[in-house]
Amino acid sequence: MVIIKTKCTELDDREIVRLSLQDLQYFSCLYERYAPRLLKYIRTISFAGEDDAQDILQEAFIKVWRNLNEYDEAMKLSSWLYRIVHNETISHYRKKSSFGKDQLVDIEETRLKDLHADVDIGPPQEDKLDHTYRVLGLMPVKYRECIVLQYFEQMSYEDISDILKIPEGTVAIRINRAKKLFKKIAEKEHISF
Amino acid sequence: MENSENFIRRIREENIKPIPRWRFTARNSMIWVLVFLSVIVGAISFSVILFVIQQIEFNLIAHMTHSRLEMWLGLLPFLWIILLIVFILISIFGIKKTRKGYKFRVSRIVGANIIFSILLGTMLFLGGGARWLENAFEVNMSFYEGINDKKIKMWSKPEQGYLAGTIEQVYDTSFMMKDFEEKEWEVVITHARIFEMVDLAGGEKVKIMGSLLHGNKFIANEVRPWGGFGQQGRKRGTAK
Repeated sequence: MVIIKTKCTELDDREIVRLSLQDLQYFSCLYERYAPRLLKYIRTISFAGEDDAQDILQEAFIKVWRNLNEYDEAMKLSSWLYRIVHNETISHYRKKSSFGKDQLVDIEETRLKDLHADVDIGPPQEDKLDHTYRVLGLMPVKYRECIVLQYFEQMSYEDISDILKIPEGTVAIRINRAKKLFKKIAEKEHISF
Repeated sequence: MENSENFIRRIREENIKPIPRWRFTARNSMIWVLVFLSVIVGAISFSVILFVIQQIEFNLIAHMTHSRLEMWLGLLPFLWIILLIVFILISIFGIKKTRKGYKFRVSRIVGANIIFSILLGTMLFLGGGARWLENAFEVNMSFYEGINDKKIKMWSKPEQGYLAGTIEQVYDTSFMMKDFEEKEWEVVITHARIFEMVDLAGGEKVKIMGSLLHGNKFIANEVRPWGGFGQQGRKRGTAK
């Protein structure tokens, strides 16, 4: 019997972790709270299909459960979860070259606006939202993940540093390079926005 | 809710348990112990390198007319230099593996590590620990060639102008000495520069630059103390 939704909403992340270690049922709160976001993240950085992404998510959550005692409360739980999911995704991504590049994820137009403004490619147009995704697909993963985390997941440099386990300075450098690369690829491939 | 129910059911069915906290604590503690030991060994290596460098008389090497590079390479404490590099690398690896290790750039970790090694190593060197350790290695490790052995080798080449040993008898213009292979020598010091720290008396260990005259007779140009650099002293036959 899983914990009912209303009870989950009353608890903060750290309380859920502590309670989960005492009673497995509380872990469902964590799953419910983060699974949709994390599933979308998996699909955005790996282009995995729905089923593959679900498998990755399940494996990642098994790892979260097994390593729950390692969670350091000094860090945001979301960053820790993204880190595990990220590593699991990259690990699958390397093993499976068949991840489809044509698998599209809905990207909210509002989240694209900042990216388009920063890359200086004009505002996103409703009928060309998939163009952004095409460019992302042509980028190396290490740059793509930075763009996804900053613009789509709206993470701070500190969060991205915690997720990717790299210094904040390196995050800034990668995001800067990723933006330049985004524009360069779009121009080279004649992809308009 | 359905997905989370399935997930919880899977965990129950497969009886998957969280890894106990003590294992993470033990792992983190071991990493910190590794980092700490690496920094200590790095500092010890640095102190011995300092000691060996102190023992090398660079001004003397500059005067040598041949095989300077060979002399350099022969005297440098490669074992300790390699140990220093290896343990700095181990501590970088260890720090990167700590919980917050990823927050620091490798250049910063290397910098901090080198500063720690220099500070601790200098303290150890000034406290005499490096000399003791180098000596202990020389005595107890058969494979280890200490700076003393290297110096003896370097100063046991009378035909090339380098001689060292212990003074036995001192006369007006010469002294008798035994080299490290117990061979007797008569050293002429009429025009030699005697370094200030040298006590020209029986039992004093000295190293001499000069030229081999014949047999066991050696003409000294400079007489230096065996240990350390010594101050340049007066030349015999000149006014004080």
